[in-house]
Amino acid sequence: MQLIPSLDLLDGRVVRLTHGDFASARDYGEPEAVLDALDVPRGTRLHVVDLEASRSGRPIETGIVERLAKRDLVVQVGGGIRSLDDARRWLDCGAERLVVGTVAATSPQLLAELVETFGTHRIVPAVDVRDGVIRTDGWERSSSASLRDVFARIETLGVGEALVTDISKDGALRGPSFALYRELRALTRVRIIASGGVSTASDVVSLARLGNVSGCVIGKALLERRIDLADALARVITPNAIPERIIPCLDVRDGRVVKGVAFTNIRDAGDPVECAMRYEAEGADELVILDISATDRASASDRASTTSLDTVRRVADSIFIPLTVGGGVRSVDDFRALLRAGADRVAVNTAALRRPALIEECATEFGVQAVVLSCDAANGFATVRSGKEQTTVDAVQWCAEGERRGAGEILLTSVDRDGTNRGFDVELLRAVTAVLKIGVIASGGAGTLEHFRDAVESGGARAVLAASLFHDRVLSVGDVKRYLSAEGIPVR
Amino acid sequence: MNVTLIDSPVANTANIARALRAAGATLEITHDADAIARASKLVLPGVGSFIAARTWLADTHIDNAIDAAVKNTAFLLGICVGHQLLFDLSYEHGTTRGLGLVEGEVQRFDGPLPVPQIGWNRVRAGGPLFAGVEEEAFYFVNSYAARAARDEIATADYNGPFTAAVQRGRVFGVQFHPEKSSAAGLHVLRNFVACN
Repeated sequence: MQLIPSLDLLDGRVVRLTHGDFASARDYGEPEAVLDALDVPRGTRLHVVDLEASRSGRPIETGIVERLAKRDLVVQVGGGIRSLDDARRWLDCGAERLVVGTVAATSPQLLAELVETFGTHRIVPAVDVRDGVIRTDGWERSSSASLRDVFARIETLGVGEALVTDISKDGALRGPSFALYRELRALTRVRIIASGGVSTASDVVSLARLGNVSGCVIGKALLERRIDLADALARVITPNAIPERIIPCLDVRDGRVVKGVAFTNIRDAGDPVECAMRYEAEGADELVILDISATDRASASDRASTTSLDTVRRVADSIFIPLTVGGGVRSVDDFRALLRAGADRVAVNTAALRRPALIEECATEFGVQAVVLSCDAANGFATVRSGKEQTTVDAVQWCAEGERRGAGEILLTSVDRDGTNRGFDVELLRAVTAVLKIGVIASGGAGTLEHFRDAVESGGARAVLAASLFHDRVLSVGDVKRYLSAEGIPVR
Repeated sequence: MNVTLIDSPVANTANIARALRAAGATLEITHDADAIARASKLVLPGVGSFIAARTWLADTHIDNAIDAAVKNTAFLLGICVGHQLLFDLSYEHGTTRGLGLVEGEVQRFDGPLPVPQIGWNRVRAGGPLFAGVEEEAFYFVNSYAARAARDEIATADYNGPFTAAVQRGRVFGVQFHPEKSSAAGLHVLRNFVACN
């Protein structure tokens, strides 16, 4: 999949509009200076939009396109191409391809003429969509043509690639419209250049996994340095190399698996060893044991937690997949006791919030790979004591601090969603995964297969955790994996 | 089949012992250099730092014992850092010589993905060690790996391709943790336990 940096031009400068509103234009400077600052390599395909032209209907920024073409960039130009003369004008300036929006929806005749005159490889029809409706004329008018009709037309002309922008997502940095591109996958063989809302490297990977997306236009996220072009390019080369993980969670109290709603109304859900073995057989990639009663005790190595160490030992001895254990870890000694009992990784939570240096101490003693920072977030803030007590620490900032201090992964639980089956908090996940390099395990709210997909695809999670859904056999780990695999998300 | 598991303090010996037993091995777990030199089938585990593991092997003369066993046609399987120890050289915290049983060097992963690699990764493999599990995912925890090693029998991708397993004659090494890789991991161990 190609990553296509986008420059929107207005009065000779690079700008960004939000929701296509000209009054909201923000200035980023001269085009050449912007490209240099972003380290855009030679030979890159560049998406240039002449905003004034898209409104007035005639080419304006021809001088800039000429300059960019001479810098060894493959320029595709959009904006106000409404005649063969306009098209010729841009091509004479050195543009490689022409992005034609309005005509694709409103003037099929002209689109056909453009393709006939300049060739299928030179014309990229652009379709702007808001709430499923095609928009034209600088997004200011809606069209009566349906997506199905427009793409049938494009296919008939023999054009292989079309640019599709979800206007409601554009510039909002909330992620692209995966649903729209998935809908198009079922509708047409035309390859899609996705545009609008792309704001993290994970977004780019998720688009590549859809299979019908051949390119991805990145504007604001690049200009605001939320995406590093080289990093995103490296990740998108093998978008399916690393399987995403499904992790059943055993909330354990007094040696039994229990489950509650929003951390309360606890009920019994079985024997930990039986659950663990069943989950490995179903294809679980890892197990998490959280000792939910431990936080209120003085220390995990206290007499009271002999039960939980024993549970860890029994579970570790019955499975051949990694085991992460958390709950009540106050010190390096607690951490060590759990590792000795058979945990591969240990999650710290309350004690780390009260004394963040604990993260460094454990990372130094046992290695970054052993340290998981568990963050229970409620209303955007980190909580302590199994979600019972909210702090004033911002959850996103706390996760970022955890990474700096040496956590190898974040277990991010939405307390608000936990046990509700209403879906993971995708916005919270995006906020955290956008600023972290280490992986995030999504937790809290799994209810349907789509929830697992959305946590990975939109949320950027590298693993998804669920408890009651698996305990109650609403879904099996195998069900989730088969579904994700069919949706193009790699699983083991 | 009898397998001698080298009882290193810088390894997760208990987990590997349990997995080897599940794979059909009758185990001798020892750090006695003479017993290791006489062994016919050896497993060298290892986690943590290359230097710590290498230093322990030298201090206990187990490095010489492994050499002697291999010269005496023993089979050897290195796991994780035990696999890295088989190579000529590692660049972890400076430069440290390995056992030199397979050609190549161990280098840090560099690139956009976070280091250490923690998790499952797809492995493309060949040869007797991977018979029946040529295209499976295995569980990795590593910051360092060999790249395009001459004796490579399996590769995976993490910030670019790396060597997931090697074989030179009767010496095998796997960068992943077979004892944490569920059925696929046990399959590899079963293949090793059964080879003769």
